Amino acid sequence: MRSHPIFSPWLSLAPALTIVLVLLGASLLYAVAESVGYISVIGQSKFSLDAYRNTLDLNSEFWASLEFSLWISIVSTLISSAIALLLAVWLSERRGNTDTLALNWNLAFPHLVWSVALLLFLSQSGLFSRWAASLGLISTPAEFPVLVRDRFGIGIILSYIGKEIPFLTITILSVLRSQSVGYDVVAENLGASRWQRLRYVTIPQVMPALLAGSLLIFGFIFSSYEVPALLGVGYPRALPVLALRFFLDPDLRARSEGMVISLIITLIVMIVAVVSLKMKDEG
Amino acid sequence: MKRIVFLLVVFTLLLAACAPSVATSQPAATNPLVATDAPTVVAGAFDINNWDSVLAAAKGQTVNWYIWGGSDSINAFVDNFYGKTLKERYGITLNRVPIADTADAVNQVLSEKQAGKDPGAVDMIWINGENFFTLKQASLLYPDWAQKIPNSALVNWDNPAINLDFGHAVDNLESPWSSAQFQFVYDSARIKADELPHSYADLKTWACANPGRFTYIAPGPGGFLGTRFVKGALYEISGGAEQWQNFDQATWDQWSPALWKYLNELEPCLWRKGETYAKDEAELKNLFANNEVDFSITNDITGAGTGIAAGLLPATSRAFVFDTNMIGDFNYVAIPLNAPNKAAALVLANLLLDPEFQAAQILPENGFGLGYAIDVTRVTDSAALSALQSASTKLGDSATPASDLANSLVGDSAAEYQNLIEQGWAENVLQK
Repeated sequence: MRSHPIFSPWLSLAPALTIVLVLLGASLLYAVAESVGYISVIGQSKFSLDAYRNTLDLNSEFWASLEFSLWISIVSTLISSAIALLLAVWLSERRGNTDTLALNWNLAFPHLVWSVALLLFLSQSGLFSRWAASLGLISTPAEFPVLVRDRFGIGIILSYIGKEIPFLTITILSVLRSQSVGYDVVAENLGASRWQRLRYVTIPQVMPALLAGSLLIFGFIFSSYEVPALLGVGYPRALPVLALRFFLDPDLRARSEGMVISLIITLIVMIVAVVSLKMKDEG
Repeated sequence: MKRIVFLLVVFTLLLAACAPSVATSQPAATNPLVATDAPTVVAGAFDINNWDSVLAAAKGQTVNWYIWGGSDSINAFVDNFYGKTLKERYGITLNRVPIADTADAVNQVLSEKQAGKDPGAVDMIWINGENFFTLKQASLLYPDWAQKIPNSALVNWDNPAINLDFGHAVDNLESPWSSAQFQFVYDSARIKADELPHSYADLKTWACANPGRFTYIAPGPGGFLGTRFVKGALYEISGGAEQWQNFDQATWDQWSPALWKYLNELEPCLWRKGETYAKDEAELKNLFANNEVDFSITNDITGAGTGIAAGLLPATSRAFVFDTNMIGDFNYVAIPLNAPNKAAALVLANLLLDPEFQAAQILPENGFGLGYAIDVTRVTDSAALSALQSASTKLGDSATPASDLANSLVGDSAAEYQNLIEQGWAENVLQK
C-alpha cells in the first residue's frame, strides 16, 4: 500500500504545498521584480541593478548589519545549544514531567512578549534598576549596566537564548527519553567515566536532533524582526530591521533596496537549510 | 527525500502559525466595507460642489478613519467628539481604525492598489508630510477636494506653512486638522526655569555640564521630531531659517559639515554617550518620565499638559522653547483614491475644521492637545470666535506661553533637505 503512488508523500502534501508555493513563490517573484526596479505602484518599470549596487557598496550600512545579524544569530545559537545539551542530559537522568512542563510553559510566550518583559526588567529605568536603587546599590538609572538596547546586542541575545534553550532542550530530551538506557549502562559496565559516556554515547545520539534544531534556530534568529527591533540600537541594526526601514521609506523607490536585503536574508537562510539537510544525510 | 519532506512540513507549519494574525487583522478592516460599499458605489454619487448632495450621500455611511492609535487620550477625543457628532448630526458611523504608524495605512492603500482592490478599506488617513509624499508620488489620493469643503474658507491657504507639507505642495489633496510646534519639556521640580538653555549653543554647554542627562530622537522615518531638532540646529548654525526654504545643494554642502561638527561635539555629553538615541517621541518621553534624561521633546500646543493629564508625565512638567528656530507646522487628513465612503470622509474632514471642534481640540483636558488649523480671524460667528479665543487662554502652566511660541516660530525647510539630513545624520553622527 505504501508503494501505491496515491499515497506518495508528495501527493498528501500537495494542498499545503500549493499554498506555500503560491504564497511564497508570488512574494519572491514580487521581491525580485521590485529589487530590479519594477515598482508597479508608482508605475516604475525600468530594469536597473542600482539597488544591488547601493546595497553591496562597501560603505553601505548593509555590511555592518550583516555582521551584526550574524553575530547575534551565531552567538545565540551556540549558547542556546550548549546550555540546552547540558540541561537535557541532566534532566534525562531524572524522571518526571514537572521539568518538561516548566520548559513548555516558556514556549507559550511569543518572542515579542518575552522581549518586552526583558525590556521592562532590564532597561536602565526598569524594574531591576529600581530595585537596585531602592537598595542603595545605584543612585541614578545611568549607573545600572546597559543590558538592553546595547551596542553588542546583549539584550537581543538574552532574549533569544531565553526562548531557544527550552525549545532545544525539549527537542534533545525527546530523543534521549526515547532511547533505551541500555547503551549508557553497557558503557558504564565497561568502565566508561561520566564524561566518556557523555562524549561517546549521549552526544552522538542527540547530535542529529541538536544540529537540526540549532540550524533551525539560526535561520529563525537571522531572519526575525521583532526582537532586534525592540531591543536593538539605532546602529548597527539587524538585517530585517534595515530591510523594513527601506520598505517603509516615504520614497517608494527605496523599496528596491529593502527587497535586495530581504532576498539576501532568504538566500542565506536557504543555504543554511540545504547545509543542514546535507549534514543530516551524511550523519 | 524523507528529510526534504520533513523540512517542507516544518515550513508549512511555520506558515500556518503565521496565518492567524493575518486572518484576524483583515476582518476589522474589511467588514464595514462589505456592509456599506454596495450602496455607496451605486447610490452614493455626489457632487463635491453641491454640499447638500455630499451630506445626502454620506448619510448611513461608515467612515473608516485610519489614525495613529498610540495615545489613549487622542483615541478617546476622536470617539467622544467626532464619533458622537457624526452619528447625531449626519447619520454617519465613525469606525476609528487605530494603527501603530501612519506608514501602515499608507502600505494598506499601496497593497490594495497592487492587488487591484477598488473600493478599498481606508476612507481617511491622519497623515504627515512623508506619508503624504508617498501617496502623492503613487497618485493614490482622492484629488481636488480640500478647498471645496465649506469650512476650508476658514483656512488660510495662502500660508506656505499650510499649502506646503514638508515642502511638498498640498495641491488640494489633503485638508488641515491641527497645528503643532517643536518644543522642549522639562520638569520644574528638577530644573529651575532660569537654568534652561535658550539656544543650541546653550544646550551644548548645559548637556556637557550635565553629562548623560540629554538626548534627542534619532532623525528618520518615525522620528520626525528628531529630524526637526537637527533642522533647528542647522538653522542656528547657519544664521536663520530663511535660506533653507528653497533647496540649494551648495548651501547644504556649505553648512552641513558645521552641523555634523556641532552634533558630534554634543554626542559624548548625551545619554549613553550617544551610543544610541531614542527612536521616537514615546521612548524619549519614557526616558524623561523615568528620570533618565532631563528633557523631552513635544509637538503639542498644550506642551506637557496632555502628558500630565494622561498621567505619563510628572505634574511639574513644563514646556519651553529656545529664543528662535522652533519649527511649526500643520497636520492633515487625506482620502485615498479608492476610499469606499468618500462622502462621509468629506463630512468628517469638514467637521474637523468646525470652529466648535477646533476650540475643543486645544484644551488639555480633552486629550488632543494640538493647535488650530483655521485662521481665527476668518471666523465671523461671534460665539465661535470667543470660544476659540478663550480656549487658547486656558492652556495653563504646562504649556509654552503663546507669545514665546510665536516669537520662536520658524517654518520647515524644503522637502529635499529631509532625506539629506536623515541620511547624513546616520552616516556622520550615528555611525561615527
